[in-house]
Amino acid sequence: MQPSASGLLARIGRQVLTVVFLIALLTFIVGPLLWLAIRAFATTWTYPRLLPDGWTLQWFGKVFADPQLFSSIRLSLAFAVTTLIVSSLICLPAAYAFSRFDFPGRRVFLIGLFATNAFPKTGLYVALAALFYAFNLMSTFGGVVLVHLLGTVVFMTWIPAAAFASVPRSFEEAARDSGGGRLRVFFTITLPLAMPGILVALIMSFLASFDEAQGTYLVGAPVYYTMPTEMYSLVLNYPRQVAAVFSILLSIPSVVLLMLVRKHVMGGQLAEGFQIR
Amino acid sequence: MSTPSDTRRRIGGLLMASPPIIVVAIFVGFPILVAMAYSFGHIGGLNRTIATIARGQHTVSSWHQFSLGAYRDVFTDERFRHDLVVTIAVTLISTLVVTVLAWVIAMYLRTTPEGAWFRSGVAKLISGLAVVPMFIPVVIASWAMLTFYAADGFIRSLCADLGFQGPTWGYTMVCVAIGLIWTNLPFATLMITSGVQSVPDSLIEAARDAGAGLLTIVRTVIAPLALVPTVIALTFTAIGTLGAFTVPYFTGPNAPNMLGVDMVSYFRSYNRPQQSVVMAVVVFAVAAVFGAFYVWANFRSAKDSGRV
Repeated sequence: MQPSASGLLARIGRQVLTVVFLIALLTFIVGPLLWLAIRAFATTWTYPRLLPDGWTLQWFGKVFADPQLFSSIRLSLAFAVTTLIVSSLICLPAAYAFSRFDFPGRRVFLIGLFATNAFPKTGLYVALAALFYAFNLMSTFGGVVLVHLLGTVVFMTWIPAAAFASVPRSFEEAARDSGGGRLRVFFTITLPLAMPGILVALIMSFLASFDEAQGTYLVGAPVYYTMPTEMYSLVLNYPRQVAAVFSILLSIPSVVLLMLVRKHVMGGQLAEGFQIR
Repeated sequence: MSTPSDTRRRIGGLLMASPPIIVVAIFVGFPILVAMAYSFGHIGGLNRTIATIARGQHTVSSWHQFSLGAYRDVFTDERFRHDLVVTIAVTLISTLVVTVLAWVIAMYLRTTPEGAWFRSGVAKLISGLAVVPMFIPVVIASWAMLTFYAADGFIRSLCADLGFQGPTWGYTMVCVAIGLIWTNLPFATLMITSGVQSVPDSLIEAARDAGAGLLTIVRTVIAPLALVPTVIALTFTAIGTLGAFTVPYFTGPNAPNMLGVDMVSYFRSYNRPQQSVVMAVVVFAVAAVFGAFYVWANFRSAKDSGRV
């Protein structure tokens, strides 16, 4: 490579463009979150100042002192944990079966599960809610769990199925040859090797339930208000700072849990899980 | 050859795999059929409960009849027609922007040479940034978007400080589109990045040695190999956008808005579930177009690799 004046200029030009793109992306993605987070600590905020007029922690106290807001936090956790348990029981054995057994209709069923994602969510929930009236599931705990469950089925079958499939059969056979029973081989070889994928699926499902708002609102209100559905009325009836505090609280589980599996999600476990085999 | 133990394994596999299939059949497939029947005026059976609560229904009395009354209600409503156009427009725009953005990011990551400190630093930052929205619940994101682009939001404040009048995007469809792009970016980026990364170096280098420019390489080498992940990303984004409620509800105007908002208000506030279900059927029909695209791409790639 010969260094020339025009080559250098082009390189600098490219770097400037890159920096501009980076700043734009940063503003687009992080800007709104930062703008909201700062508000949680603001006394008042006068337009067009770029920072609040003063700083305070009083809004946090307000949220923790409000029994309704606090109960929605507990309810959200209850729904997420219940959904996760039910979804694991229903989907994980199936994921194993999809990856290890060759039964008739395997591919059709696997793709058929995508039906849950092929229907636009709000439309699906409206259709479901119409039926829930007949089953007496409107405004019940079970009804909301069902709605949340539907949001986890694809994660909990496809991603673990891909994870199980990526465990080489030769490992299992070797372990079986050396005298391991079927269950023992599963728990000592297959499961630990597939764990990263399963973990990604579990956390995605937990968050899908924890963050679900529209279906919960349609089916659960006015009896069950989870944290996300509480936000719908919160932004209308409370000072904006309270909504900001609530937003921070609601984001904590997502951020913490996703940080734990960040490496696997970005390393392709999620993308892998959505390829048809 | 199939031995008895083979058959047992196959049946066992089918049994193990059946619970999620049954759940999806009962709580997705079945309600949609029942809802379709309801939209055509059938109020017997499982639709009886909702039909006793609803207002303004069009009904038929026997199973072989059907009424298009609810469809006529919906389609003669100026607001619905407007909202349908808006929904499809927002879907196309956000899907396009998300895909292009994801491709730009994926290509930047793919072409970053090892050891170039500036580029690899930027690449790390970009790939981290693009997945941030995944960490944030949609409700929070919508609220954050609204305050950021509102009349007293950051964009307007910054513009005011710089001495000119900035745009107010809060409660407009612009803010809805921005919000949907924001929430859909991580999934598309992960899918497309993983597709682009899986193209072997040797292929790209061979094309480069043959004198192909970057655009030619993308078009002839990378794009065909990353077609399926791209289409998966496209379909998911489009269907997610079509069924969006939270983002348009928070950040959009009262009217026109997206059909997700209309469906919920017809169902909950106006107590007209039949019209709401009709809109759902319309949205399903639009989604089916995108779904067909997805099936086609998967089929084509299966054919290319000789699996079909």
